[in-house]
Amino acid sequence: MSLIADPSSFGVTTTLEGQSTVLALRGKVENLAAFELSALLDSAIDRHPESVILDMSELEFVGAAGMVAISNAEKRLADMGAALTVRSPSILVNRLLAMMESAQEARLERALPGHGHLGPEDRSAVSVSPPRFASSLETSDLRRVTALPADPDVVDGALRLLVELARSCVSGADGVSVSLLRHGRLSTVAASDQTIMAMDADQYATGEGPCVDASLKGHWFHADSLDTETRWPSFTPRARGLGIKAILSSPLKAFEQPVGALNIYSRTAESFEIKDQETAAVFARKASVILSDARAGVSDSQMALRYKEALQSRKVITLATGIIMEREGMDEDDAFTALLRLSLYHGETLRGRAESTLLSARTPELPMEGSDA
Amino acid sequence: MHEPALDVLNVYRQEAGLSQGELWLRYFELGGMSTGFELEAYLFGMLTPTARDHDVIAHALNERFSELGGDHPVAYLGEVHDT
Repeated sequence: MSLIADPSSFGVTTTLEGQSTVLALRGKVENLAAFELSALLDSAIDRHPESVILDMSELEFVGAAGMVAISNAEKRLADMGAALTVRSPSILVNRLLAMMESAQEARLERALPGHGHLGPEDRSAVSVSPPRFASSLETSDLRRVTALPADPDVVDGALRLLVELARSCVSGADGVSVSLLRHGRLSTVAASDQTIMAMDADQYATGEGPCVDASLKGHWFHADSLDTETRWPSFTPRARGLGIKAILSSPLKAFEQPVGALNIYSRTAESFEIKDQETAAVFARKASVILSDARAGVSDSQMALRYKEALQSRKVITLATGIIMEREGMDEDDAFTALLRLSLYHGETLRGRAESTLLSARTPELPMEGSDA
Repeated sequence: MHEPALDVLNVYRQEAGLSQGELWLRYFELGGMSTGFELEAYLFGMLTPTARDHDVIAHALNERFSELGGDHPVAYLGEVHDT
């Protein structure tokens, strides 16, 4: 253990810019730091500034409690006719703020999403494509250039926030958890309390329950009354024993593959209305985007396969562009546009059209009679 | 010349249900050369992509809309339709 202070520990510098108070945040806002941030925001607001600016350029992480502190400060300032401005947030913080906004919309208006309406529960057989083959392609170099790093801290922080938001936004929710497949096993990465942890653990142990089904099958499962539920015979009585009467599990997906579930538990039967189901679905979709970015649940060999196909596609398109350049005497950009035009004209994918172009180039011209060319 | 909203590509990305990482992979697949961070800046209008880059992003989105059973809503900058 180093005795040097952790460089990522939380710190704040307060300065004045005209009538605005600027709080420059550093490091990570977690646990106790959230209380500190909350107190600092309160004392800044007590001075009645025209605005409070949160400079997040050196902020590494904000946990759920920190987000709540920021949200509360925003409300207090709004009541005073002042504004809270966020300066230079990182991509992660932006994403969390966006989630926060959508949660508040849900809280204020119970806004229903314009798309993604929940259909009837789908119990049809699921086709799971088997892993085709393990590829030898190294993913580590490619992973370095992908859009966002897979940071388990970031993912867990986002999921804890999700649990907190879902519990406050879904009426009838007495407990919320997130199950995630990691290394081929389901585990609870965030839960609102110990009873909920136990409920999830029970489902993993028996291999049955809505959370297991949603995580593995990728559909949502709604048990609106455990008193009449028949689908999970060994799990249901134990859940009733813990006082649970209704469960709503929404699937979490990364790259369209099921990787976990958002589980909402209620002590009251029939407590989840359609609007609650839709709110849960909105949260599940948000979490799925975060999980996709973090490549959650995607094994190295699946990722390698994906990259291998991406590289193959690039190669084919580059070669086809070259062929068109040569044939038509075009520069590279014009040749690419020409290829794009052909793909749209033929209603093919760009890769499909590029493959046809390659095939046409490979067809040997028949040698002319008497010609020695 | 039309002046679209700065984050018009990002709005399409969200409608297409693609994460930024997934869109980047699709863009890379079609020959895109920019990094994930540059792509993010294009999506939000903080950097202006070249016409070629713009059309690769537009096509990656349009192919996704096709997969979802839709048409090609994202406009191209290059002359891709017969005039």
